[in-house]
Amino acid sequence: MVRRFDDEEDDDVEEEEYEDEEEQLLDDEDYDVDEDAGRGRRGSSKKRGRSDFIDDLAEEDDDEDEDDEDEVYGGGGGRGKRHKAPRDGSQFFDLEAQVDSDEEEEEDEGEDGFIVETGADMPDEDSGRRMHRRPLPLREDEQEDVEALERSIQARYARSSHAEYDEETTDVEQQALLPSVRDPKLWMVKCAIGRERETAVCLMQKYIDRGSDLQIRSVIALDHLKNFIYIEADKEAHVREAIKGQRNIFGAKIMLVPIREMTDVLSVESKAIDLSRDTWVRMKIGTYKGDLAQVVDVDNVRQRVTVKLIPRIDLQALANKLEGREVPKKKAFVPPPRLMNVDEARELHIRVEHRRDPVTGDYIDYIGAMLFKDGFLYKTVSMKSISVQNIKPTFDELEKFRAPSAKGEGEMVGLSTLFANRKKGHFMKGDAVIVVKGDLKNLKGWVEKVEEENVHIRPEMKGLPKTLAVNEKELCKYFEPGNHVKVVAGTKEGATGMVVKVEQHVLIMLSDTTKEHIRVFADDVVESSEVTTGVTKIGDYELRDLVLLDNNSFGVIIRVEKEAFQVLKGVPERPEVSLVKLREIKCKLEKKFDVQDKYRNTVSVKDVVRILEGSCKGKQGPVEHIYKGILFVYDRHHLEHAGFICAKAGSCCVVGGSRSNGARNGDSFSRFGSFKAPPRVPPSPRRFSRGGPPHDSGGRHRGGRGGHDALVGTTVKIRQGPFKGYRGRVVDIKGPSVRVELESQMRVVTVDRNFVSDNVVVSTPHRDTSRYGMGSETPMRSARTPLHPYMTPMRDSGATPIHDGMRTPMRDRAWNPYAPMSPPRDNWEEGNPASWGTSPQYQPGSPPSRAYEAPTPGSGWASTPGGSYSEAGTPRDSGSSYANAPSPYMPSTPSGQPMTPSSGPYIPGTPGGQPMTPGTGGLDAMSPVIGPESEGPWFMPDILVNVHKSGDETIGVIQEVLPDGSCKVALGSSGSGDIIIALPSEMEIVPPKKSDKIKIMGGSLRGLTGKLIGVDGTDGIVRIDDSLDVKILDLVILAKLP
Amino acid sequence: MFFHIVLERNMQLHPRHFGRNLRENLVSKLMKDVEGTCSGRHGFVVAITGIENVGKGLIRDGTGFVTFPVKYQCVVFRPFKGEILEAAVTMVNKMGFFAEAGPVQIFVSNHLIPDDMEFQSGDMPNYTTSDGSVKIQKDSEVRLKIIGTRVDATEIFCIGTIKDDFLGVINDPTTA
Repeated sequence: MVRRFDDEEDDDVEEEEYEDEEEQLLDDEDYDVDEDAGRGRRGSSKKRGRSDFIDDLAEEDDDEDEDDEDEVYGGGGGRGKRHKAPRDGSQFFDLEAQVDSDEEEEEDEGEDGFIVETGADMPDEDSGRRMHRRPLPLREDEQEDVEALERSIQARYARSSHAEYDEETTDVEQQALLPSVRDPKLWMVKCAIGRERETAVCLMQKYIDRGSDLQIRSVIALDHLKNFIYIEADKEAHVREAIKGQRNIFGAKIMLVPIREMTDVLSVESKAIDLSRDTWVRMKIGTYKGDLAQVVDVDNVRQRVTVKLIPRIDLQALANKLEGREVPKKKAFVPPPRLMNVDEARELHIRVEHRRDPVTGDYIDYIGAMLFKDGFLYKTVSMKSISVQNIKPTFDELEKFRAPSAKGEGEMVGLSTLFANRKKGHFMKGDAVIVVKGDLKNLKGWVEKVEEENVHIRPEMKGLPKTLAVNEKELCKYFEPGNHVKVVAGTKEGATGMVVKVEQHVLIMLSDTTKEHIRVFADDVVESSEVTTGVTKIGDYELRDLVLLDNNSFGVIIRVEKEAFQVLKGVPERPEVSLVKLREIKCKLEKKFDVQDKYRNTVSVKDVVRILEGSCKGKQGPVEHIYKGILFVYDRHHLEHAGFICAKAGSCCVVGGSRSNGARNGDSFSRFGSFKAPPRVPPSPRRFSRGGPPHDSGGRHRGGRGGHDALVGTTVKIRQGPFKGYRGRVVDIKGPSVRVELESQMRVVTVDRNFVSDNVVVSTPHRDTSRYGMGSETPMRSARTPLHPYMTPMRDSGATPIHDGMRTPMRDRAWNPYAPMSPPRDNWEEGNPASWGTSPQYQPGSPPSRAYEAPTPGSGWASTPGGSYSEAGTPRDSGSSYANAPSPYMPSTPSGQPMTPSSGPYIPGTPGGQPMTPGTGGLDAMSPVIGPESEGPWFMPDILVNVHKSGDETIGVIQEVLPDGSCKVALGSSGSGDIIIALPSEMEIVPPKKSDKIKIMGGSLRGLTGKLIGVDGTDGIVRIDDSLDVKILDLVILAKLP
Repeated sequence: MFFHIVLERNMQLHPRHFGRNLRENLVSKLMKDVEGTCSGRHGFVVAITGIENVGKGLIRDGTGFVTFPVKYQCVVFRPFKGEILEAAVTMVNKMGFFAEAGPVQIFVSNHLIPDDMEFQSGDMPNYTTSDGSVKIQKDSEVRLKIIGTRVDATEIFCIGTIKDDFLGVINDPTTA
């Protein structure tokens, strides 16, 4: 180390004297000279040489040049020539030696060349100082010492062989300078913390005092290494000798530094080199922590840098401060980065000085002590407060920085930083690369071999050598438009796409999934044939999920980035996208809702809707999510926001395309099954299959055709299994399974026939359409249906329809778990009064409906078995539904009025008498809708209820349901207490828990008892006592038994 | 590019189709199944032109379906990198435009549209030259060059350029 150090100093010296020399040559020569000096000086008179040198400085110069030339051409063999030179060799050696020794003496005199204190900028400073301090006369004065110096030099270099420099002197082989086994070793010695420098100086002093009997060669104290110093010596004993008596050294342990690591000890952490202008750094502390900054100026001496930042300045706060106003300090508020607008500042009466920088001539704005230029803040900070290593500016950041400055420059800056931060092993064999710097610029090729720094490439161009070694820094990956690539680093990591454009090292690619342009660094992508979406999932949240956010807003995830999501918020007025971190998401919203579109058609997930209003008017696509009356529609032709459009339900309409509300219509049909009964498929078989196991309805529908073939060609909905929720057409029936052609997937699947519900059946098309045509609203439809199909029942048997009409709703409700019925009920609750009020159709409708109902009830009821009669009847009149029923509809709407008379007799009427009243028939047709749809449960005997009477709550068992809806309740959990009469509004069904005995209060299984063997969300899994069948039923219709 | 090639497919036929018209049924089912599909390797099957040979049917256990290996000739359309195509513009947006050449969808990025053409938003988004003489909008016909294809098992997607000699609008619906 020391040797090298000296050599460099020699360079400096010579450089001054022979300025035209090349550095390399100098180096070489120095080795020669050193060596020559060592040998030559032995016999030569030094004084003479010295004076010669001084006298004939000019002449010397020439000679020197000559020699140099010799060396250049002669290489190692130059020595011989040199000796042939007219001048006496010894003379030459002498003067060279002079220079050398001069150096030496300076060192001795100064701070002792042996002890190298490695500050970052040490070499420069040293040489600089020396140059200034080397006036010629001074040297003359010291000539007496020369002898001594000569000796010391001999002593220093005698042992170490210089043979290696002798021959291989043509090139600066840094490698050759690396320490070998023959060189002195480095020993690491522990010393007091903070005393490293002091210790080194002490050792230096010791060396000065004791002279050469101290056999160590150098002492190194590193600023960044606390607690240790290094001592260079040949033997450990020498080190021990040297540190003996040093109070700061704890000499117990002396560690040898392995040869390989020796260079690391002395290689200067070259901050100064890294920190050149225009490099990107990041702030480590303060307001700007983590911000990207660009170095504008470096002051190595004071260890400070001036950086360019995007200011984070709260102008208002600044103004307040300048005016001395007291403002309560808001904590932890970091103003967002924004380029400074001087005019804005002036508006706030902040004094802005506009001055011209005397050095650069640029105009700079001063606000207080802050400097602004072009809107950027120029800040001088300590080198320690910035991090230099591994800075990867993102595109956005670079973009911001580039904004006001010239474009081309920005690009190159990015490039340089890019290279600085490149990972090792970045190029791989076979990569297409392009040379971006140097003579070979724009040469394309393929990587053949990668060495440390150099990459061997096979050039594309003919007539060039087979492989060329190019520095890694001069290479850049190369892609052509059309290449299919994958991003392997950065924020877009994982995305794939096709390269659309190549701008030097920046690629613009078209993402496969989002069909958006992505800008990436060429370095960050690899060629790939795979198609991926990139990251699609973080934690529990996936692309396209509907999520609830922190502030109770919600939205659909439209893009997943490395650590954040882009969420399209549920704001229908304008597309609002925000970047959301994982922790800002509260939960995923998976609940399925149904809403009504503009024409009151029910919209549920997967229905195709067309947007009728707003900026996305005319777009259409399937609904992906529904929440709070807002639809998220996916239109694959919509390129923004990953195809998602957010719209109010009210500004969309369901497109018939998927016969989407077939399902819902079907449901409402089946509710009034009578009216839609298509001649071809009588209701019973349908219901049969829909109801699943025959036992629950079979008895009642004896009349139905048993053949399943009736199912073929009908549209069904799959209720269970992997295809749950799908709709399709039955193509075939094979034993217990049916083959269903799915509407949405264009394929045929086989499902258990118990898993399909055919209530979806779309009746004769014309009726269907007329339904649409009338723009019926769901509740409306139910109310109105009687008038419209009142002809149909005439054709059909009078009995079935009404029977159906009464029964189905309950059943529907019972089967709700499968069908999207429960949500409509909610809707109904909200929407109903209005719809009643607004529908004029109803009024004209009601008389016919009554006319129609008149004949039917009798037969209807007649044909219904008693059991079903009570089932059908009771819930309506006895339940609280009854109480609720009139309230929304009678007082609120005029349309309800015509009905009132009919409901009049109904109220006092006994259940038995009820169907007989013509008017009630009409009401009956209605009430199933109202009844089960309204929130109240409908009570049955034997079930457990909570009774709130006069403020206190007791549990009881219903003993009897009275005709007016109130119940006789026996208090006590087993029904052994007093018997009271409770109004429906005072009672509440006790919800069953797992493995409770239950009674089914609604649907076709109404009245049956069973055991709740499991709960799945809102569904209860019930084992029916009678049949031991397992059913899935809505928990709402299950009541606990004592 | 179009190719006339021979492909083979195993057809499954329901027993109800057996009988005199078995062959016809087989062929019509083949056409139904195959025409208009896309395989990553061969491209889009445009039309079946003939049946080379129908192999021996094999009855499948359990179902009664019969599997026939059918060799058929068909015309396939496979886009290639560098190929020049004429296509109809289907959608224009600020990132570029989509065009269709038969079954193939091609995206032309705005980076690959000549620089003098600028995007004009509005009712009918389009790319127009500064003098307004050339306009690319929906239903325009363009000649473009495919610069990249992405081939999935079931889809071929291309990106194209019109930033080259002799490429660009060939028929404008507004002037026609």
